[in-house]
Amino acid sequence: MFKELDPILHSQLRLAVVSLLIGVKEAEFTFIREKTNATAGNLSVQVQKLKDAGYIEVTKQFKDNYPQTTCKITPKGIEAFEAYVQALQQYLKVGG
Amino acid sequence: MSEQVQDNEQGKDFSPEESFQLIKSMISKTKDAVAVDSFYLLFWGWLVFVCCVVEYVLMVCFKYPYHSFVWLTMPLGGIVSAVYSTRQARKRKSTTYIEEALGFLWIAIGMAFFVMVFINVISDAWKTAFTYYILMYGIGTFVSGKLIRFRPLVIGGILNFILAAVSIKFNFANQLLIGALAILISYIIPGHLLRIRHNTKKQ
Repeated sequence: MFKELDPILHSQLRLAVVSLLIGVKEAEFTFIREKTNATAGNLSVQVQKLKDAGYIEVTKQFKDNYPQTTCKITPKGIEAFEAYVQALQQYLKVGG
Repeated sequence: MSEQVQDNEQGKDFSPEESFQLIKSMISKTKDAVAVDSFYLLFWGWLVFVCCVVEYVLMVCFKYPYHSFVWLTMPLGGIVSAVYSTRQARKRKSTTYIEEALGFLWIAIGMAFFVMVFINVISDAWKTAFTYYILMYGIGTFVSGKLIRFRPLVIGGILNFILAAVSIKFNFANQLLIGALAILISYIIPGHLLRIRHNTKKQ
């Protein structure tokens, strides 16, 4: 039986964001934008979806008078990512 | 990076292989994000090295009684470090777990130095102060080297453990020279090598 791939993570940009956040403690929105080369508009929509799913935490604050958005993965997000990778492995085993 | 990560709302036509490649490439990008700064190693390395040598010269060559005054530069060094790290924190766009661990390690070592200086002032523990200072340098550079996978720091740290044991057999004046040697091999040389590695990576 194949596990269903989590639709929230099975989207390129959202998966990219979560994979980046897995490796760091926290990252600024601009850091994620640089690494994914996504447009700001598209990225904010996807970040919002991840936040709504409870996979990431988004903090907005001011740093030197500039608004700054920081993203951080939540324990729920880590769990979802691990389950997603496990499900992927199942697909790859059969495929390979 | 030239490829752009598209949002694929339907998502179904992006294969498990592509998913894996994407995860791999993103995780490898965060590896480069570990900002390893040789500034602290070089700044503290040279400062302590010069202080050790100057104190030795004042004490042994000039028989100057207030030779330990050179260490008044340490609080100034602390201020320079604090200003520098605040500025760097403003520029930083991401924080890795390694950077956080390194920060806590050096804060703990800084506090240990503070306590040791206090003990040295109120007792005659100063006679063997360098044995314990060198142990602290060893812990700091060994753990940092392992965390950032930089062998010169690890080797410097290990050599410091040996130097710490050796230093106990020497009087305070000679301990100053051993301290200078310890700093040279654990901070200054690895610090310069780290800077070279960093600059070559940039090109």
